[in-house]
Amino acid sequence: MLSDSNKIIHRKKMLVSFLIFTGIFAFLFGRLVYLCVWQADHYAAMATDLHERERSIKAARGRILDCNGKVLADNKTVCTVSVIYNQIEDREEVIQVLSRELELTDEYVRKRVEKYSSMERIKSNVDKETGDRIREYDLAGVKVDEDYKRYYPYDELGSKVLGFTGGDNQGIIGLEVAYDKYMEGELGKILTVTDARGIEVESAGERRIEPVAGLDLCISMDLNIQSYATQLANQALATKQADSVSILVMNPKSGAILAMANVPEFNLNQPFELPEGTAENLTQEEQQNLLNGIWRNGCINDTYEPGSTFKIITAAAGLSAGVVTPESTFSCPGFIIVDDRRIRCHKTAGHGSQDFTHTMMNSCNPALITVGLRLGIDSYYSYFEQFGLKKKTGIDLPGEAGTIMHRKEDMGNVELATVSFGQSFQITPIQLLTTVSSIINGGKRITPHFGVCTKDAEGNVVESFEYPVTEGIVSEEVSATMRGILEMVVKEGSGSNGKVEGFRVGGKTATSQTLPRGSGRYIASFVGFAPADDPQVIALAIINNPQGVYYGGQVAAPIVRQLYENILPYLGIAEYHE
Amino acid sequence: MAAQRTGMAKRKKKEQSEYFFDYSLLFIVLFLLGFGLVMIYSASSYSAFEEYKDTAHYLKRQLAAVVIGLVLMIIVANIPYHFWERFALLGYIVAAALVPVVKTPLGVESHGARRWIRIPGIGFNLQPAEVAKVAIILFLAVLVCKMGRGIRSLKGFCVMMFFPLPLAAEVYLITQNMSSALIIMGIAVIMVFVASPDYKKFVIMALLVIAAASVLIYLVASGSDILKFRGNRIRSWLDPESDPSDTGFQTLQGLYAIGSGGIWGKGLGQSMQKLSFLPEAQNDMIFSIICEELGLFGAVAVILMFVMLLWRMMVIANNATDLFGAMLVVGVMGHIAVQAVLNIAVVTATIPNTGISLPFISYGGSSVMFLLIEIGLVLSVARRIQLKEL
Repeated sequence: MLSDSNKIIHRKKMLVSFLIFTGIFAFLFGRLVYLCVWQADHYAAMATDLHERERSIKAARGRILDCNGKVLADNKTVCTVSVIYNQIEDREEVIQVLSRELELTDEYVRKRVEKYSSMERIKSNVDKETGDRIREYDLAGVKVDEDYKRYYPYDELGSKVLGFTGGDNQGIIGLEVAYDKYMEGELGKILTVTDARGIEVESAGERRIEPVAGLDLCISMDLNIQSYATQLANQALATKQADSVSILVMNPKSGAILAMANVPEFNLNQPFELPEGTAENLTQEEQQNLLNGIWRNGCINDTYEPGSTFKIITAAAGLSAGVVTPESTFSCPGFIIVDDRRIRCHKTAGHGSQDFTHTMMNSCNPALITVGLRLGIDSYYSYFEQFGLKKKTGIDLPGEAGTIMHRKEDMGNVELATVSFGQSFQITPIQLLTTVSSIINGGKRITPHFGVCTKDAEGNVVESFEYPVTEGIVSEEVSATMRGILEMVVKEGSGSNGKVEGFRVGGKTATSQTLPRGSGRYIASFVGFAPADDPQVIALAIINNPQGVYYGGQVAAPIVRQLYENILPYLGIAEYHE
Repeated sequence: MAAQRTGMAKRKKKEQSEYFFDYSLLFIVLFLLGFGLVMIYSASSYSAFEEYKDTAHYLKRQLAAVVIGLVLMIIVANIPYHFWERFALLGYIVAAALVPVVKTPLGVESHGARRWIRIPGIGFNLQPAEVAKVAIILFLAVLVCKMGRGIRSLKGFCVMMFFPLPLAAEVYLITQNMSSALIIMGIAVIMVFVASPDYKKFVIMALLVIAAASVLIYLVASGSDILKFRGNRIRSWLDPESDPSDTGFQTLQGLYAIGSGGIWGKGLGQSMQKLSFLPEAQNDMIFSIICEELGLFGAVAVILMFVMLLWRMMVIANNATDLFGAMLVVGVMGHIAVQAVLNIAVVTATIPNTGISLPFISYGGSSVMFLLIEIGLVLSVARRIQLKEL
């Protein structure tokens, strides 16, 4: 038996222990209150973050609009119809409705409906109307998900410029890449609750964060001019059996590109389709190389020897430096000796005595070589750089190729002589067009571009793009002189096929032999602008490897003439009558 | 005495027996067991299905353990508790001998620790640490009675504190089970505290422990690794969000569960964290699932049940017919109190993470069976209380 005093002590101690534990429990209760009340939001948010898996909802990609607001790249709403096995209530009705609405066979649908899987896709790329109709049946277990698909209403038109998008709404080539960040928008999210292994918890439902649509991109391309240029290019491609034909049309004052046709184009709605007649056993890599070749934009991604059109640059440099005036006289015996080399003129008999304007009208090689030699290597090279030829044009399309030019220290008189008439170096067509534009527009080097502005869905301008302009490439006088000389080239010289009735056109032809020399492959080209006294539009036509007649004056100049006959009135350029 | 007699006279009509049976205690224990089974089913059904294709896998095993435990409890409750007195030393030795058995081929490894012994034939694993807890309660209760007034001396105190040390050390060193070692020491401290009339020694001891813990935490926080992997546990306790992938993972997952439960909880069965996010959801971390599903109110209800349980045991200990009985009940009370406090403290990240289960509620056959045997002892002590003593 316990003694009473001991018992009292023990009782007291037991009470103390009990109270201590109760106190600790009270403290833990306080801690719980802190966690469940004060920290609840914090931990609940972190937990939700952990439990939810995202499925993204595509944002509507911004459209691409031409300068008149015509839609060049659009989105089509398409639906994907799927069934969820566990949620289907009336299997027969689902099979019957889906096979009827989707025009599928009964067996095909039945196989999918009866398959035990979390979600089975019945058909994708279903029209929105059909999708809506199926949704109206309100069948349990049938899911209709909306999706956007990029759609190009004009299939092939401007394919290498516009580019196309991939499955994740991302641009792959062309403007779709260059303006991706404006057009892509922000993905929406469908948040589904899942367990630790990512298996959806069906009772938990889902939460949506709506996507933000991308901005529309307005470009300077004119659908009508682009269509017509493409048509002309295709004609030339067919009649001259050429490898490719490019036509560039630009506003020489602003650099806004009105058309850029590169035929053969490809169908933007089926960009991955290989051309007919392709061998079937290609490896993945070979297929990709083939496609990359098809998608290549020759005006920007490829360089070529410009040939005689480059005499415009030599002439402008000579006039600027004062080593030549339009009245200077040159004598052409049909060749010129530079150091130990004899460089022939295309007219082997020689042009005889002629003033500078006529050397350009005749496209006389010895005369232009003389101008180049008068300038000397240092001076010529510094004009080459001053005109911006060593830098890229900065066009808003991806993959612009750089200029391939001799290093200054490697240049001798022979190299200088060949450069003077446009050989032994390579530039892109857009580089040539931009440089010629800056010479004839009064000496402003403009940046060629397509992007004009971005607009929101209501058509309000969000951002207008501005492009750098370098003033004073050549003086206004030299520019005016060059316009005069080039007008004479078209009026009475080698570019007479570029003449357009009722309009003053200036221009220059070129026929360059491609490397290796003697292969019989030529590039015929013509650059022309109008009106000659105040250029509003400049065009460059390049025919790659034409069969038969290959002179630029005969092959390329008529294309620009046909183009101008149609687009000059369309552009509202006033007719001129002498 | 006169007052007690009149009190007895008043009750006389109602009472059938002159001995006391503590139905309140029994009810509380049964409630906790039932609640535990519901929560185990809720917390484990998802992972049980994933693993065993049977949502009730854990529930069935626990139910079997509870039934066996209840039978054992009734048997123990009907044996006069003095019967066990003679086994005190034997129990102590057997417990000490059982712990190293986990290192033999009979040992079973689970969750990366070797803490169980397979008992051949019945497919049930015994955790020797549980035996050690019961053994130390019995042993110390006998020791207190043997020492009588000797316990008041410093020597008596030291003797009392010495005996649990080898068991705790064994459990800690051999089975790497720090929490069970802590519980064994905790039981001893409480029993000695109640047995001795002194306070000073205990206050000094508490202060020393607090000081030592502070120094350790400071050292670990400032980058020392004297504690090896336990150092990481302390680091992840101090800032669970900094290391959510590794040691802080379980703590943080538990906090997610508690935090997302809020005041009212998500509703029974609605826990998200139990979907394989929270490791040991039905076991050590079951309290966080209770918080997530039943909210702060569910958690408070559980805490209140434990407080009532302790209170009932305190009442029984206070009225025990002898010191041995009282000390037995105090030991059991200490065991349950320390374990529940440590579990809730771990789950709420109040102390560093150490594997410890919530008495009666967490999944674990050994644990619930031995707890029920201990409750059997308490009930046996309660039955000796003559109503005239109340």
